[in-house]
This record gives sequence, structure tokens and C-alpha cells, in this order.
Amino acid sequence: MRDYWLSKLFFDLQDPAKAAEYRAGRAQVLDRYTLKPAVRAAVEADDVGYLAQLVNPYLLRFYFLVAGMADDEFVKRIRASGDGHG
Amino acid sequence: MAELAGVYAASHGPLIIRKWDSVSPAHQQALTGAFDELGRRIRAARLDALVIISPDHWVNFFIDNLPMICIGVGETHGGPNEPWMVKEFPHPTLPGHPQLARHILETALESGFEPSVSHQMLLDHGFCIPLLKAGVDPLPIVPIVFNDIEPPFPTVRRCYAWGEMLAQAIATMPGNLRVGVLASGGLSHSVGEATMGLVEEEFDRECLAHFAAGDPAALCDFLTQRLPQVGNGASEIRNWVAAHGVAGGRGFDLINYSAVPEVIVGCGFAAWDLAGRN
Repeated sequence: MRDYWLSKLFFDLQDPAKAAEYRAGRAQVLDRYTLKPAVRAAVEADDVGYLAQLVNPYLLRFYFLVAGMADDEFVKRIRASGDGHG
Repeated sequence: MAELAGVYAASHGPLIIRKWDSVSPAHQQALTGAFDELGRRIRAARLDALVIISPDHWVNFFIDNLPMICIGVGETHGGPNEPWMVKEFPHPTLPGHPQLARHILETALESGFEPSVSHQMLLDHGFCIPLLKAGVDPLPIVPIVFNDIEPPFPTVRRCYAWGEMLAQAIATMPGNLRVGVLASGGLSHSVGEATMGLVEEEFDRECLAHFAAGDPAALCDFLTQRLPQVGNGASEIRNWVAAHGVAGGRGFDLINYSAVPEVIVGCGFAAWDLAGRN
């Protein structure tokens, strides 16, 4: 299953300017997307496992790079999530 | 008519660029040697145009409009836009070959394929890492995007048939062009899923053995069964299958295979011996 607006957020943040704005203040950017409350909470909590169920795995990977999560930390969390092949 | 002058395949893992300094000396040597040999063969073929088959890593397309296959018919293409590629890749634009692209498109339509079309495509790392690392100077490129990224995917058999059609298109292209085909991607890797980082060497070697065996039906059966069971990045082997179809399913010549955990990819490099196909 794909969550369209979550996917759109992650897709849009590939733009370096938008990514910089996001890193400077997530809330202002998140307000522009029609995210379900549980999805927004997962974004705010960096809940890799929850978000992995809702987006393409490549977009998930890109997003956490943009969000500033270290590679090792992302790998640790996605492995712990048990989310299988995308 | 144009001539098919070379068919190639190469991996393109982003960490080959982003984390090159973290790659062990032995693996750096293996990858450098493989890319060098790929570049030597491409230069030796004296190509006038290169068709590159690669996925789009969410650079041109999104889930609101996601083609299974798209041909770039523009006079120019944009270079990679990933910040880490922009720093390394010296060409902000790359020349296209609209006449060849258009002929491939028309041949496809006449042959029962309905690809999408782009007049302005960005070529991401999938297209550009092999060019950069193999030291291939810009030459007119016809980019063909296969959806290897977001399920559902084109079937493996359809990818092989696409390659056969592409060979027919090249053979019927007016003029004296020397045309090459490069498949970019694979072999095993896993991105953004629980198996991230896993390189499945046994699968890769079995896959390479199928390419070498020259039995396209068996190769397609193997991949149809196994691709859903391995890491998502292996889906890019569909591009190799298309290249195999271009070469008529024969002449596969492995340049190098190295399972490289530092770049989380089973890195494969190949060319097809076109003279020895029959």
C-alpha cells in the first residue's frame, strides 16, 4: 500500500532547497501535505518501521538521508522493522 | 542501415560514488578494473550513439504517473540532479539522438509495444555512474527507463522481448550509425527494506550462469521465480535481460563480478560477444 501524500512529501524533499527548508523546520513543511494524523506523528518520530509500510523503499531511503539520519542508524532501524521486500 | 556495435551491462550503486573511500582497496581495484575494461570496450566499438536502459530513481516520475517503459527522444537530456552526483559528474547536459530514439519508438509501436515518451528527461545516477566510472566521453544517448523500482514491474519475458525489438529497431535504422546498448543496474541489492545491505552472491552467480548458458527461456523462468524472493534492487536485472534480448540471447561475456558489501551491491559487468553469437 502506498500513502500518496507521504510519498509526495518524500519525493518533493529530493529538491535541495525544499530539503534545506525541511531541516530548518519540519512543521512548516509538513503543514502543506494532507497527512493523516498517525502518519504525521510517525514522520515526527522518525518511525522508520511504520513509514516503511506506506512508501516505496527507495523514497524511504532518500527521505531519511535528507532528514539527516546516519546511514548506520537507518539500516539498524529498517532491519529491526522486519519490513520485507518492497 | 545502422549496426549493433556493442552490448554491455554494468552495476551503478550510489555508494560507488558516495562512499568510495570506504571501499576496501581490493574491491576498489576490482571495480576500477571492471569499469576500465567496460570503458575500453565501449571506446573500441567507436559508437555513434548509445542506448542506455536504466531505472528512474524517482527523478523524472512519481506514483501519479509512472510509466513501465519510457523512451527519451529529446535533443538533449539533463545530467544527474542528485547532489552527490552533481559534484562528481562533469556534464550538466548530455546529447540525445532524437532520430534514433524516434525510430525505436516507431518500431516499438509497430511491434505491439506502447512505451511512454519523454522530450526532456533527467539522467540520474543509474544512467551516469557507468559513464563516469568507465571514462566514457559524452556521446549521443537514447535513454530508456524501465520501471524496476515500484511494483508491479514489467514481466521478465516482456523485457527480453523488448530487447529483441530494440535489436530490430537498430537493424532497420537508416544510416551508417554504430549503436551500442548498455544495461545499467543490478545485480543483487536491497534498499530501504529489512534486508538492506544484503548482497546475495549465490543468487547473483546462479543468475550469471543463466546469462552465460544461452537459454533465454530458462533465464526468464529463473528470474520470474526468484526476483520476488531477493532484495528489491535485483529487479534492475530486467535491464540486463533486455540487453540479452538485444544480443539474441547469446554471447554473454562476464567482465567481472564482485560482491561488494561496502556499496551493498553485487556488482556485475558484462559485454556480449556479438560476433560469436551464431
